[in-house]
Amino acid sequence: MTRLRLDWQDVLLGAFLVAVAAGALYATRTLSVGHAADMGPGYMPRVVSLALLGFGLFFLGRSIRGVAVTVEAVRLRPLIAVLAAVGVFALTAERLGLAIASVLTVLLAGLATRETRPLESIGFALLLSALAALLFIKVLALPVPLWPR
Amino acid sequence: MELFDNLLIGLSTALELKNLGFCLIGVLIGTAIGVLPGIGPIPTIALLLPFTFGMAPAGAMIMLAGIFYGAQYGGSTTAILVNVPGETSSVVTCLDGHQMARQGKAGLALAIAALSSFFAGTVATVVIALLSVPLAALALKFTAVEYFSLLVLGLIAAVVLAHGSVARSLSMVLLGLLLGLVGIDVSSGAARMTFGIPELSDGLDFVPVAMGMFGLAEIIANLERPAERHVVHQTVRGLIPSWADLKQAFPAMVRGTALGSALGVLPGGGAALPPFSSYALEKKLAKDPSRFGHGAIEGVAGPEAANNAGAQTSFIPLLTLGIPANALMALMIGALMMQGIQPGPQIMKEQPQLVWGVIASMWVGNLMLLVINLPLIGLWVSMLRIPYRLLFPAIVLFCCIGTYGIANSLFNVWLMLGCAAVGYFFIKVGVEPAPLLLGLVLGPQMEEYFRRAMLLSDGDFSVFLTRPISAGLLAVVALLLLALLSPIVVRGRKQALAE
Repeated sequence: MTRLRLDWQDVLLGAFLVAVAAGALYATRTLSVGHAADMGPGYMPRVVSLALLGFGLFFLGRSIRGVAVTVEAVRLRPLIAVLAAVGVFALTAERLGLAIASVLTVLLAGLATRETRPLESIGFALLLSALAALLFIKVLALPVPLWPR
Repeated sequence: MELFDNLLIGLSTALELKNLGFCLIGVLIGTAIGVLPGIGPIPTIALLLPFTFGMAPAGAMIMLAGIFYGAQYGGSTTAILVNVPGETSSVVTCLDGHQMARQGKAGLALAIAALSSFFAGTVATVVIALLSVPLAALALKFTAVEYFSLLVLGLIAAVVLAHGSVARSLSMVLLGLLLGLVGIDVSSGAARMTFGIPELSDGLDFVPVAMGMFGLAEIIANLERPAERHVVHQTVRGLIPSWADLKQAFPAMVRGTALGSALGVLPGGGAALPPFSSYALEKKLAKDPSRFGHGAIEGVAGPEAANNAGAQTSFIPLLTLGIPANALMALMIGALMMQGIQPGPQIMKEQPQLVWGVIASMWVGNLMLLVINLPLIGLWVSMLRIPYRLLFPAIVLFCCIGTYGIANSLFNVWLMLGCAAVGYFFIKVGVEPAPLLLGLVLGPQMEEYFRRAMLLSDGDFSVFLTRPISAGLLAVVALLLLALLSPIVVRGRKQALAE
């Protein structure tokens, strides 16, 4: 596809690191750096971010060495389903309680693969929810509501 | 005779009824997650950490350690029966173990794997006991300068010995260090990179990071690959090996144990590297190397002994020096800190019950594992029949609840979500996240030691080279980095890691 032979893994990693380092440098720009004998709070962040920036640029530079490396295609279904399951848990756990949040999380996560069978998934979700309630609320006394408040 | 005194203190702790219970729970969980491919000891220990708050430190560490070495036993079961490594450390066991199973010798392979692991575990326990005292005595002479150099050595060695590109791993260490700096600076009280989020002022919790990157990201990546699992359908019989089998396996067991113990102690050691080295060694020593890959019993005994010995001796740097050999040990350090115990050389003097209790519990745990694994093998085999489509939603749910449980904060759940996305990205671009975890856990300590060293020397960087111990440690770092550049090592490393 591309005429330029790029190592896409290096391109992406390099860009990611450069972005993170730049973000960190920006976020810590107001902290005093001080000097080695009397380090300010900004000393280490500055040193580490600059080193990280260096690595990022190194990967970017290395990516054009002429070896083509492709990144495996991203499959959206498992990615979105698993992340959404976690998100739903974060949104509902304290409001709707552990029982309902657990069922929703398991059902959503189940959507990540075509192999999931709807009926089995619902039954399993209910079972896990009961188990989680028993284990985490009764046995381990986690202070999270069980039902909606 | 100090050794015996110490081991006695340890045994008296390890044999307390409640600690025996924790040990049993640990090795049972360890075996279970070891058997199940797709979930490893790192997310499991991260998951259980929050619930060890209320426990005594010794009990907590005994249980967590049990999970780690228990997983080595469990991993081999899956490798032999399904030809899928339950853990990375049992990749090699697939080669000959599964061949043995196909030839109807599954029982023998399992028995040899368990016996080798037990033998190695026993020897490794003694090695830990022998090495711990002198190492800790040496470490007591350390000042901030030596500590900083030691941490540098630990991080670099962990990167060099781990698999994957060294430059990438180094960048991951730095990223981890950077993340470790998030939070309120201890000495000035200034907020660093907290973006006004109050939950960040105490720093990033490593549990959600570990669970997101190791647990959830792995699940997402696993779901992309087509599932294939062919359990060997045969009743496992012949669990008692014959004399001839034992005689054939024993030398490999001994060599594997020695190799594993030595490699495990090194910073960066652990359970992953030793089995590969042991397999290569056995193949080289064998009169007829062509048997390997077709069910050679030494190919099971050596690596299995090596991974178990390595798993256990990787506790030595942690218990004596307070530096983690690998990402898992970093979690253990976190566990200690959560208990309010500062890991380091003073830990042996201040907490003898804890240190020796954990050491003695390893032997007790290995004994339990032998019993758990051989007669109960049917139970573990039936666990393999749980389909992944049911397994992974359960893991996702438990990760969510566990992360929430650390500080009862939903922020950590969101953090885990972010780390899962980043972890998935790392898998796609071919980066190992383990060094990141090491950096994250060690970052705050490293900054503190560096700052103190600089205060001592009045900002003179040469202090790291003028102090003999520190200079020695840094010389090893330089040697490691130089060795990486030399073509022979590069080729050898590629070969060792490619197999």
